[in-house]
Amino acid sequence: MSFRDLLLIALGNLRRQKLRSLLTISGVIIAIGAFVAMLSFGAGNQRMISDQFDELGLFTTMLVYPASESGDSLSLDEKAVLRLADIRGVRLAYPYDRFKVNVVWGDSAIGVDAQALSAGALETKYYSRLEAGERIGDEAGSVLVSDELLDGLGVADADSFIGQRIAVSVKSASIDSALVRLFSDPDGNLRKRLASLEVDSLLEDGYVERILRRELDAATRRFLDGYLNAQALTVDTLEVRGVIRSHGSRRNRVLPVILPLSTARRFDAAGPSADPTELLPRIMKGEIFTKASSMSKAFPQVTLDLHPYASHSVVADSVEAMGFESFSYASEFEEIRRVMLFFNMGLGLVGLVALVTAALGIANTMVMSILERRREIGILRSLGAQARDIRGLFLVESGAIGALGSMGGILLGWIVARVASGVAKAVMRNQDVEVMELFATPFWLVGIAMAFGVLVAVLAGTYPAGRAARVDPVEALRQE
Amino acid sequence: MSELRLRCIDLKKHYERGPQTVRALDGVDLDLRAGEMLALVGSSGSGKSTLLNLAAGLDSPSGGRVEVGGRALGSMSPRELAAYRAERVGMIFQSFNLIGHYSALENVALALAFNGTPRAGRGEIAARQLAALGLDARADHRPADLSGGEQQRVAIARALVTGPDLLFADEPTGNLDQENSEQIAELLATLCVEGRSVLMTTHDLELAERYAHRILHLSYGRIDDERELPKNRRSS
Repeated sequence: MSFRDLLLIALGNLRRQKLRSLLTISGVIIAIGAFVAMLSFGAGNQRMISDQFDELGLFTTMLVYPASESGDSLSLDEKAVLRLADIRGVRLAYPYDRFKVNVVWGDSAIGVDAQALSAGALETKYYSRLEAGERIGDEAGSVLVSDELLDGLGVADADSFIGQRIAVSVKSASIDSALVRLFSDPDGNLRKRLASLEVDSLLEDGYVERILRRELDAATRRFLDGYLNAQALTVDTLEVRGVIRSHGSRRNRVLPVILPLSTARRFDAAGPSADPTELLPRIMKGEIFTKASSMSKAFPQVTLDLHPYASHSVVADSVEAMGFESFSYASEFEEIRRVMLFFNMGLGLVGLVALVTAALGIANTMVMSILERRREIGILRSLGAQARDIRGLFLVESGAIGALGSMGGILLGWIVARVASGVAKAVMRNQDVEVMELFATPFWLVGIAMAFGVLVAVLAGTYPAGRAARVDPVEALRQE
Repeated sequence: MSELRLRCIDLKKHYERGPQTVRALDGVDLDLRAGEMLALVGSSGSGKSTLLNLAAGLDSPSGGRVEVGGRALGSMSPRELAAYRAERVGMIFQSFNLIGHYSALENVALALAFNGTPRAGRGEIAARQLAALGLDARADHRPADLSGGEQQRVAIARALVTGPDLLFADEPTGNLDQENSEQIAELLATLCVEGRSVLMTTHDLELAERYAHRILHLSYGRIDDERELPKNRRSS
């Protein structure tokens, strides 16, 4: 007996028992619907993350850090950046150069973080999410700002900010003023202090040391006062050419002000930062009096833009061989995918429980069907059907229930996912959160749901089908 | 002498019913030749239907064997046995055993699903067979809409549509009135003239004597009487 014959007989039987078939199929529809809706949520989240990674070019981005294990680690200086750029598979290497600037626009002034980027870095996907305006190259006088700066300045419309001129200034420590104050006597009481020295006490234990400590403390205070509070100001007026959307993680955040490298060099040349937190490392390195232009500038991290087909592990190995550490977004995405897999499995399990219930319904329907169709089974056997034809007939029948239920379930799941997506988007809009698509019903999910529905239905029909195949045709034909 | 179609040799069928052994058939020997109608008569429980089921390969014997064309059914695989029933055997039952939700045409065409007939041609072949039995106007009717005689003719059409050379009829006239019984018996006799072999069980001894070529009397699973009726042999 051909599969087509089996299928037509099976569908005929389902059609004849309309109500029972409909109820059984409804169970499968609900189960597969729940399965599809649940996994649509998982698939939607995974797609959203994947799209964001892809949009920002993170699949081809690797971050490099100085090695954290050894104390005297290699610093990520200009030479290191050039060596990193030479690694096979690396398209571009650029440093994450972060410094503090003051931005003045009209009456508003705000202190924010800024970063300097080369023309190549500005062309990468990471800096492509513009809210307004256009991307910039390495032309002097241009600046890219993020919506974080606009929030700080109280600008609501990003488009209106394009073409505006902002004053960007950097304060740099002045070694000259620090030295002047070190050797000057601003209080004018050096004479008094000298007069107060007790000559008789000079030979006492600890007296000289105490006096020296007091003088050293006073000299250091005067030096730091001059270093930190008498800073030189470097100002540049720049035209805003584009507004970029803030994004990124702790590792690689897009900062409020992005300057082309040529512009940033002017600020760099002005001198070292007056940030107190940067002073100590400079003292430790013995570079406190070194001129800024002759210092070897070390970066906290370097970003590598890789060729699409470059092997991340090979590049990571090369980076490690150079004495640095690396972080790959692609590897992190694999971790995310692993987590998402468990997440999806959890969601699928809910659908599976419903499907098991539906499977019991199918088994019940098929057992009832056998009891009612014993004579028909006997007739088919007398006409030349083998036991396996009878088994096949009942398996095809349960499989057909699964297939019809799966088709309906996929449609139901898709509708539920669309409705839930609409509700979620409405809530996001109300909460003024960036609207995201949280649900997706990709073809692979449709295929899996279909296969799963049919498979579970066929498994549910296995026992009844075996029972049907074992029906004694002689007994069945004797039945009135 | 015509070709030997079916042979039962020392055929036995015993059932265990609790502590007792029921000997439904207890050493039956018979031959069925081409163009021959053999009537099995005997009281209820004498083993007539059991013999028919064994001959059709629907049941397996406890001892002895059934041979068709020199080959024992017991040596056949399930596939070969199914093919034997689909291609060489036509079965007719007292209660007709038609599928209630199929039309007369669909019931007849169903038999063609098992002998490899392409689906496209089945309807036409089944319609021809129904027409040959005078049922062309009833092709679309369901069994419940047909008289007993018509239902049995549909069942015969189903048995004949695959062109079998062995017909096993279990009380084919048992549920029919006299007139319909005569018609069915006449039809079976005609089929024998065409070369088919008929093994028929019946309670109607008079009918058997009028149409069968031989009558075997079964009692307690054994043949206790055999009669030749040469007057019923008609040439084709």
